[in-house]
Amino acid sequence: MEAFFFGPSKSYLFGAFHPRHTNFQDEGVVLCNPFGQEYLRAHKSIRRLAINLAELGYPVLRFDYRGTGDSAGDLTGVTSQDWIDDIGHAIQELRDIASVSRVAVVGLRLGGLLAAKAAAENEDISRLILWDPIIDGDGYIEEIKSVIERAQHFGSRSKILEQDGTIHFNGFCMPKLFQESLARLRLNETTSDVTSPIAQFVSHESDDFASIQQHLGQRQTFHSELAPAPHDWNYVDHVGGILWPKPVIDAISRYFSTMTHQKMSHYA
Amino acid sequence: MREQVVTVGHERPLVGIFCEPSSADMTDSRTAVILLNSGVIHRVGSCRLTVTLARAIAQTSGLSTFRFDFSGIGDSEARRGTLTAEQAAVEEVQEVMDHLSSWKQYDRFILYGLCSGAFAAYRTALEDPRVSATVQLDGYCYMTPKSYLLHYSRRLSSPGRWIKFLLRKLGLFKIKRGAELSGIDEQFFEVPDFASYPPKEDVAKGLEQLNLRNLQMLYVFMGNEHYKYETQFLDCFSSVPFKDNLKIIHQPLASHILSEPADRQTVVEAIAAWVKSTSRKLESHQAPRELDSPVSHGP
Repeated sequence: MEAFFFGPSKSYLFGAFHPRHTNFQDEGVVLCNPFGQEYLRAHKSIRRLAINLAELGYPVLRFDYRGTGDSAGDLTGVTSQDWIDDIGHAIQELRDIASVSRVAVVGLRLGGLLAAKAAAENEDISRLILWDPIIDGDGYIEEIKSVIERAQHFGSRSKILEQDGTIHFNGFCMPKLFQESLARLRLNETTSDVTSPIAQFVSHESDDFASIQQHLGQRQTFHSELAPAPHDWNYVDHVGGILWPKPVIDAISRYFSTMTHQKMSHYA
Repeated sequence: MREQVVTVGHERPLVGIFCEPSSADMTDSRTAVILLNSGVIHRVGSCRLTVTLARAIAQTSGLSTFRFDFSGIGDSEARRGTLTAEQAAVEEVQEVMDHLSSWKQYDRFILYGLCSGAFAAYRTALEDPRVSATVQLDGYCYMTPKSYLLHYSRRLSSPGRWIKFLLRKLGLFKIKRGAELSGIDEQFFEVPDFASYPPKEDVAKGLEQLNLRNLQMLYVFMGNEHYKYETQFLDCFSSVPFKDNLKIIHQPLASHILSEPADRQTVVEAIAAWVKSTSRKLESHQAPRELDSPVSHGP
């Protein structure tokens, strides 16, 4: 693995590149993180997925969006479109360092919704892989707010600031500007503009995931798989435990192992 | 301020971020602050605390910082060996100090850590005289008669606690911890192992030793079951002559992982200010560096 900063100098991004081990695949993979506490708890899983895919011959880049992780700044003045642009920077960086002609994007939770928008904006993305995706930006924000309100009955100090509307959730802040930009995103609408193959991997069944299946099920290039695993990414214990949903990581790795881009192109 | 990714070691390097103040802001070219992992969380720290703190120290206190992952955590690969994780942590901090000494000629280090990171900072300070100061958040401390009194007086006056006590005695209520509490199967949920809390007498001896060499110490205690009042640490280690080497901050409303932004900001500002004043103190107490002398701890 090689770690470095890349992207615009004022909003440089932390990246970790996993070069392919064997079996040359002319397709790279960019991994897109979720938000907040979910990002912390998913770090090990995202890294493991990167290692698995590199062993299958796919060069992989995982990275931190601006204002998160080791990347520059905080979320002041940042919109979800900035994060989608960051996915674009990561794709370009991976093309440059791994010399691949095509790049797939894998997104977990909020990363799935943003990766879908990136795929809708960029026809060169070879395939879109959604892992327990958020399907509705507005619904996601409302869900966070309702969790905050419920938790206050149990002594939580997480809150929504009345002055500026910033959400403080499980130790992470989401400013109003980011919320407003995110609220407009809908996965089903966005995926209508995605021409590349799409796959969905879910750890559990839900109405949201069923709606994606219904929306995309007619596509010849849609793959959906249930890999039962823990998925409570926002469970926060006081000592900082992390989640390790191995069945989903294995399922995505298997998908890349059996469905190489060359095989996928037969469907296109 | 400038940040760069730095790897330390060869076959299985430790991965970290070096954060350096601009030359105009640099206040101390001999001292670097090293920020250690807490439990199994990678180097950005719980609620991104480590990143926020590393940048605040570089920007407002004028010192360079290095945040990195111990082997087997975050982006650093696991290493083979017979050392326990506790022993390996001390060796790896020393390896980082060697690297920074050789690369940037730092010869004094301030170690920062929360929880298990605080324990590692303390143990490394005992082993290595290059450590001039430690910042420990929820570091080693033990109950005192007063803290027991505060702890149990609140419980005795709570009907709910009595009911739970009786249910526990009758075997009808079990205290749940870690994976049990989360409901997540242990194979899918990794929690840190804090089993090795040393005897109080050992820590008291260690603190005596550290004070003999005037290690500067900042202890920050958040609200928790075991730290009940501001001066508990002093009462706990009343035999230790701390002289003017110790500062204690108590944030009784803050959570262990500093999940509230206001608490985080208060603690970050307090640490950055303390680090700045401590580096000045170290400068005035210690002999000037001989510019031509060889670095003694190169890799």
